[in-house]
Amino acid sequence: MSAVEEKVKEIIIKIVRKPELDFTPTTTFKDMEADSLDIVQILVALEDTYDIEIIDEDLQEIANMGDFVAYIERKVAARQAA
Amino acid sequence: MSLKGKVALVTGGSRGIGRAISLKLAAEGADVVINYFRRRDTAESAAQEVRKLGVIAHLIKANVGEPEKINSMFAEIEEKFGRLDIFVNNAASGVARPAMELDDQSWDWTMDINARAFLLCAQRAVRLMKDGGKIVSISSLGSRLTLPVYTSVGVSKAALESLTRYLAVELAPMGICVNGLSAGAVESEALKMYTQGQEAAASSWQTTPAGRMVRGEDIANLVAFLCRDESEMIRGQIIVIDGGVSLAPIGSATNR
Repeated sequence: MSAVEEKVKEIIIKIVRKPELDFTPTTTFKDMEADSLDIVQILVALEDTYDIEIIDEDLQEIANMGDFVAYIERKVAARQAA
Repeated sequence: MSLKGKVALVTGGSRGIGRAISLKLAAEGADVVINYFRRRDTAESAAQEVRKLGVIAHLIKANVGEPEKINSMFAEIEEKFGRLDIFVNNAASGVARPAMELDDQSWDWTMDINARAFLLCAQRAVRLMKDGGKIVSISSLGSRLTLPVYTSVGVSKAALESLTRYLAVELAPMGICVNGLSAGAVESEALKMYTQGQEAAASSWQTTPAGRMVRGEDIANLVAFLCRDESEMIRGQIIVIDGGVSLAPIGSATNR
């Protein structure tokens, strides 16, 4: 598990308050019963952690945690390259 | 240009009502600090519109629900401008659920952004208001009237309104005027969130005796008035701006 993936998992588990969550690449926000407030809080926490901007429209392409982690990793890499 | 040379902070100032307020204060000559939550592109476009009016626009990203973000926002304002003359507490959020479905997380989120942030921002703003100042809070009819799934926001706005009155008295000796306004339904993205699936109920609130919905510009005009010295004898009031809908909410259009 990459450092970004570890962080994403840690943030999500804390916000959705499910310490036993089975966080795998195929897990979806629906599986973890995340509501719109949970998702906003997750996005804000990740934006703050990595100083990135997550575009809400981009999330429509994201089906599961595998896609989500890959998206955040791309954003972090772009940020580090800037 | 009655606000020429003033420095104004508008929280949530990049979209909807906040954007209209930022533009109005800029049109009256104030430099504007636009606080925004997440969308840089929207904030940049608001800042560009403000700059076209010949004043400074300064963007600060901050979730006002977090006290440390409020502190860093005001530290940045102090560093950039050294003072503040106008503070418009506009940023708001909420969770659209009936009371029985609200949990502690949604309650805290809404109260922190809508009510606690007003206190914490006012405390910081006052320290920068060296020659007096104006504080305006933006509330809504939902503080007194019950609207579907509006519970968390309505309760937080009631706290905001009460705090407006307390601040008005406590800050008066410092030459600071504090007032608020309570708006009826305003055409905005936020409204869509609360009226989804309840079009019939929503339409009764959108048809006002005045014949149209309240616009962001209507709110901005009132804010500008409350920021001018000519309104200085109005203190701690929550001015209703709703086209008369709260006086005749059912079938108000047919009453005309």
